[in-house]
Amino acid sequence: CSEDVLEINPTDQYSIDTFWETEEHANAGLTGCYQVLRSTFGSLFETDMVTPNAWGYNENGGLGPLARGVQLTTDPALAGKWNVSYSGIGRANTFLNNIDDVNMNEDLKKRMIGEAKFLRALYYFQLINYFGDVPLILETPDAELHSDLPRDPKVLVVTQILKDLEEASNVLPIIYEDKDTGRATKGAAISLKSRLLLYEENWPAAAEAAKEVIDLNVYSLFPNYRELFMIENENNEEVIFNVEFLAPRFTNNYDQSIYILNTPAPLKDLVDSYLMIDGLSIQESPLYDSSMPYENRDPRLHQSIACIGYPFNGKITELSDVVNTGFGMKKFTSFSDEISNIVPPNTELNPIVMRYAETLLTYAEAQNEAVGPDQSVYDALNLLRSRTSVNMPEVQSGLSKEEMRELIRLERRIELAFEGLYYSDIRRWRTAEVVNNGPIYNYEGNVITNRTFNKDRDYLWPVPFVQIQENPELTQNPGYN
Amino acid sequence: QGSLDMKEVYLSISLKEASLPEVFSEIKSKTDFSFIYDKKVFNKTRAVNIKANGQSLESILVDLAKAHGLRFKQVDDKISVRLVEEKESPPIIIADVTVTGTVVDSEGNPIPGVTVSVPGTSIGTATDLDGKYSLTVPEESTLIYSFIGFESQEREVGDQSIINITLEEDMSSLDEVVVIGFGTQKRVNVTGAISTVDMDQLENAPVTNSSQLLQGVQGVYVNQAGGQPGRDGATIRIRGQGTLNNNNALVLVNGIEFPLSEVNPNDIESISVLKDAASAAIYGSRAANGVILVTTKSGSKDKFQLRYNMYAGFQKVNYLPDVIKDPVQFMELRNQAMINGGRLIVDYPQTMIDEYREGMKTDPYTYPNNDWFDIMFNAAPIQEHNLQFSGGSENLTYSLSLGYLNQEGVMMGSGSDRYSLAFNSTAQISKRLKIGTNINAIYRNIDEPVAGVQNLMGSILKAQAFHPTYLEDGRYANTFVRSTGHNIFRHPIVLATEGENQTTQQRYLINLFAEYELPFDITYKVNIGVNKSDDFNTTFVPDIFIYQNKTDAATRVPFNGDAMSVSQQNRGTRKTYTGNINTTVFNTLNWSHDFNETHHINSLLGISSESFSNNVFWGQNEGFLGNDLYELNAGSSNPAVSSTSASSRLNSYFGRIGYNFKEKYLFEANFRYDGSSRFAKDSRWGLFPSFSAGWRLDRENFLANIPWISDLKLRASWGRLGIERIGLFRYLNLINLGQDYAFGTNISAGAAVTSYNDPNITWETTTISNVGVDAGFFENRVGLEVDIFKKRTTDILRAVNLPSQVGNLNGPIQNIGTVDNTGFELGLNYRNNFNDFNYQINGSVTRIINEVIDLKGQTIYNGRNIITEGQSIDSYYLIHAIGIFQSQEEIDNSPFQTADTKPGYLKYQDTNEDGFITEDDRIISGSVIPEYTYQFSLNLGYKGFEVNAFFQGVANINTYASLIAAQPFWFGTAVTKEWTTDAWTPENTDARLPILTTFESSVNENFRPSDFWLRDASYLRMKNLQIGYNIPSVFTSKYGVSNLKVYLNGQNLLTFSKMKDFDPEKNINGVNFYEYPTVKMYTAGLNVTF
Repeated sequence: CSEDVLEINPTDQYSIDTFWETEEHANAGLTGCYQVLRSTFGSLFETDMVTPNAWGYNENGGLGPLARGVQLTTDPALAGKWNVSYSGIGRANTFLNNIDDVNMNEDLKKRMIGEAKFLRALYYFQLINYFGDVPLILETPDAELHSDLPRDPKVLVVTQILKDLEEASNVLPIIYEDKDTGRATKGAAISLKSRLLLYEENWPAAAEAAKEVIDLNVYSLFPNYRELFMIENENNEEVIFNVEFLAPRFTNNYDQSIYILNTPAPLKDLVDSYLMIDGLSIQESPLYDSSMPYENRDPRLHQSIACIGYPFNGKITELSDVVNTGFGMKKFTSFSDEISNIVPPNTELNPIVMRYAETLLTYAEAQNEAVGPDQSVYDALNLLRSRTSVNMPEVQSGLSKEEMRELIRLERRIELAFEGLYYSDIRRWRTAEVVNNGPIYNYEGNVITNRTFNKDRDYLWPVPFVQIQENPELTQNPGYN
Repeated sequence: QGSLDMKEVYLSISLKEASLPEVFSEIKSKTDFSFIYDKKVFNKTRAVNIKANGQSLESILVDLAKAHGLRFKQVDDKISVRLVEEKESPPIIIADVTVTGTVVDSEGNPIPGVTVSVPGTSIGTATDLDGKYSLTVPEESTLIYSFIGFESQEREVGDQSIINITLEEDMSSLDEVVVIGFGTQKRVNVTGAISTVDMDQLENAPVTNSSQLLQGVQGVYVNQAGGQPGRDGATIRIRGQGTLNNNNALVLVNGIEFPLSEVNPNDIESISVLKDAASAAIYGSRAANGVILVTTKSGSKDKFQLRYNMYAGFQKVNYLPDVIKDPVQFMELRNQAMINGGRLIVDYPQTMIDEYREGMKTDPYTYPNNDWFDIMFNAAPIQEHNLQFSGGSENLTYSLSLGYLNQEGVMMGSGSDRYSLAFNSTAQISKRLKIGTNINAIYRNIDEPVAGVQNLMGSILKAQAFHPTYLEDGRYANTFVRSTGHNIFRHPIVLATEGENQTTQQRYLINLFAEYELPFDITYKVNIGVNKSDDFNTTFVPDIFIYQNKTDAATRVPFNGDAMSVSQQNRGTRKTYTGNINTTVFNTLNWSHDFNETHHINSLLGISSESFSNNVFWGQNEGFLGNDLYELNAGSSNPAVSSTSASSRLNSYFGRIGYNFKEKYLFEANFRYDGSSRFAKDSRWGLFPSFSAGWRLDRENFLANIPWISDLKLRASWGRLGIERIGLFRYLNLINLGQDYAFGTNISAGAAVTSYNDPNITWETTTISNVGVDAGFFENRVGLEVDIFKKRTTDILRAVNLPSQVGNLNGPIQNIGTVDNTGFELGLNYRNNFNDFNYQINGSVTRIINEVIDLKGQTIYNGRNIITEGQSIDSYYLIHAIGIFQSQEEIDNSPFQTADTKPGYLKYQDTNEDGFITEDDRIISGSVIPEYTYQFSLNLGYKGFEVNAFFQGVANINTYASLIAAQPFWFGTAVTKEWTTDAWTPENTDARLPILTTFESSVNENFRPSDFWLRDASYLRMKNLQIGYNIPSVFTSKYGVSNLKVYLNGQNLLTFSKMKDFDPEKNINGVNFYEYPTVKMYTAGLNVTF
């Protein structure tokens, strides 16, 4: 009898033996896969601080040193990316391994498998994007089997991601009912595929995938670029996939970081890259007046960046508001220009992981590389420039492929500033060794500090030191030993 | 030389209507006595009739005294006479007599230095070298003969003039009884390693938490980190750190598991610390870290007593870092640090610095120069009162005590009250049946800053002189100086005083027992205990705004920290209830018997069942209309609730058999068989045996003739113990709930596996071998206690790390290896006296070598620490700083660090000589476990005066200095003064510190984890100094006070340590270098016994 009293079961946890039986269990297991998104994409904009777009004052967790080219294998921010991606992968693998035995509606089950595969693909994509080769694991986490697996070639992981996305896009719906807002859609799966193919420089396939998204005919540009990112317009027609936050339980501190701490702080290099309203650069345009440098600029400048002397959060911005560089971010805050909000609460803003504008830019870039600047390339770019609140002149016709490449790269930098993509762009374009090497400037053109970029090392992040410590089968990326 | 005795002088006298002087002169004429009196007084007394016929002078005077209210006092042949004052006790006759004599020991040898005194008076002397004394005392008084090592004797003087005394050797220390598991034992017969706390010595120390009582116990390391009221429990380690898990000792109060910090120190009668396996094995699976047995005070059979103790005083901060406080100097230094770190523009433009310098002269609101340490840390009062009633009769004893402790914190916004109650009673119902109860209850109120003390401590260290307190109109102020990196001013006064973070704790230990004497010397005992705790916390985060001192722009102060609402920054209330209830039932049968006074057997069999359950519930609400009402009902939005519970159980069988032969050869064996719900069915039960033996050499004939050996015992023990304290359900693979996600506006419940578990885990087993000697020399004036021990823990349980590729899961807890703690304890004490001056010196030292023996080849890394074979647990594992780079050339010719390395930066050792400084260059650099702990105390006494001093020290221990103020300008905050004098500059190349940079600018260079930042946290500290005076009872007895003592006490008055910038007695593994500071405490108090 004393044996019975010593048998005590937990009151708020399921044992692995009693789980994976009902549709509720399956739902909860899949939700657990989504939950990781809040960590992986929690600060989407942070990698822009490792580019000429922005500077982070106190980012000593890893991104600050990374921007200066003095990162260590132990820097926690870099390790965090590895760890949290494998959290998502482990959960998706567990779901996919167990879902078959759950007794539930088969159509729903198929859809849920598609969602899990999309998420697994997204997490693996994060890994290969920063670390290159990584261990490819597709089963429920098992210490015996998986602890000492070495890194698999990136190409193998790419193949698996494409397979997952293919299978996901075959079963995922194009849209959901309201109660399922934020779940992975067919469009999300294909968009991620197009991004991966673009990064892999598989130009025709990338263009084809982007075209496939365009042809779904469910996405269109939101008319107002500034408001596209505001809480009241979440999940608008331009959003393909975002991370869902919901106050009070799930919030982020973007307002505090961006507005109070001025981090990331936009750099002069980015501000100077915005064209004039005549479509010319500040060097070329007669409209540019260096005494009023922020006048007559691509409207996206003031829709993305707070400049001294211009309104933001209900006041005229002063140096003390944007002290780090003389510029502040507007994108991803919950503040409008006109109304002052003195309380910086944690916000529930959903960071947008993929949106239609990126699809158009992916199409333009891939199509230009694959076949050259045909009309469809111009159409995609002009569609962006003709967004109601942007209304920039159409792209000058007759550009060479190389000219078009430069134009697309600039358009991409402007349109997608602070959305966590530019760091990947300058690495895949192999321009980081140029643009991330040398001084960075504040609004007055004074050098803040110098950055270095080691082209033999810094295109990939180090495999976190602790991982190699725990699994000596893992090899380190070049230059980090 | 004898004096005349009134009893021996007989006379006849007959007078009528005489005056008293006439009577006195008549007596004088008939005897050798003469009278001394005031004629003016006694001439008035005329009607004296006296008729005596051959009566003793004494009886004549007694009659006279009674009839006329007189008082006679004889000194030799003189008799003084005076009138009895009103209220004076009935007239008597007191004679001063001179007593002489010799004091010898049982063998007839004279004892010099024996104190001979009259209790309650200042009359006293000491024997000379020949043991002789002479003392004049009032007749009928009592003399006390006392000497260390001998039993005191009392002798009525009566009419004796020569009193010779033979003092018997003091056997009381030999009869001293110590509390052991499920019983008591004579100290001399103890075969294990048991220390007891000298409660007398600690009687008047302002001990606010009972865990502090263990300071000074041989083999025990007590680390008192921080002096936060209500949360000042000390960390206690008995003989080192044996496990990688919970290293806390098992604490039993009156036999029931109960936290030591939840007993009022004043209610404690005795504390025994069971250090080796022989003593602790009867507690089996929880005893590996040692066992602390606490017994609370009870009443005594024959006397009613009322005791009142109180003290009051104040506390002052002991250590604070020596930071730069001048605002202009701070800005200039920070600019310099930025430039040194590679910045080309700085945060504080020269124009701003100039403006500030000028502004300070005229406008203290915009340009303040605040010393935030002065503002936030203040002398704080403390007072404690304890009242105890105790008493009893033949069949009933009882003790009831009430206590109150009020302690304000030295840090603004912290404080605590404690009310306690203890009731003990036993009743002898019949010849065979005895029942009793012990009740201990504590009610404690703790006030803390909303964001928690850690967070406030950080905010105080972050605040600079230019951070203002208030605007001129009294509103909270914010600075116009943009302090990049720390741009959110967490106004310390706001954090400390606004909102609410109040915890009330209630603890009850209720214990009922009955003992029944069965035939054949068998005693049955049953004990039922309930240990209940209820914690209730209210946290209210208010909306508080601070206004910039130039623009008046408002900013809301964020209260994020330890305690916050779910949405973290909204005004809101959270109420949290945490409750535990643990029950214990144990039954024991005890049989002990003497055979012919030669063979003594003592045995015990028992069974026990314990259950532990825990409940947590919280609810919260937001949407309050203001900062004034904050009940949950007053809020309107975002309500949320949560709850959970857990329970565990332990069933046990245990027993003991002890045998001794003429108290000369001692043997004992214990066992315990434990079953715990914390493990899977197949590995649930564990057996823990122990054996010990002792040999009292002093009882052997061959030592009996050596006079200077008073006591000598050898003892040895061996036993096994366990540790079951790991998290619950670590043998099950579990799915965690709460992994939720929002789809649109719907929250969907999520679940995931978050940790990996091993179903095969079982007990850690600790095997302790102990050899010891207890000895006393020179009538026990010198005492010696030596223990040598080896404590080996096998199957040690530890969370094993998994590479993140395994689903980023927390690793399983597994039985992974073996750790040894080998060491010795040496205790020495000496006591003696010199006439009325007596003194005692006690000291002990413990050395422990902790070594990981076997980890199955694995290495466990834990941040800056490592667990690896051949080293002590959690040794520091860091790269090794070998100097400071003097030139770019030196950098170029040295192993590569990072592209930012500059002259003046730290230079590290390339241990593996691969040309790069990486984590592979780390070496073992220091220990978190002190190798030596030592303590000593001095007690001096002269008549009623006492001086006691207690010192404690540790040696060979390190702590790592990081974060705020430990590293300069950490996130834009404090810098210590040493950086202005000791840092490298091109001119000062022989500096101790590297060049001054901001933390973030060389986080991967100077501030990467290296042994440069490791501090030697060894210290020697005077923990306690007390001066007391026992007021003689002649002054107090007329008020019914039998004992009155007044004293002054100082705590932590002196510290000697290499570590200057913060208290070395800190949480050694703490993330922050600075924590709630320890305090110096000054108190005065008194003890009264009625």
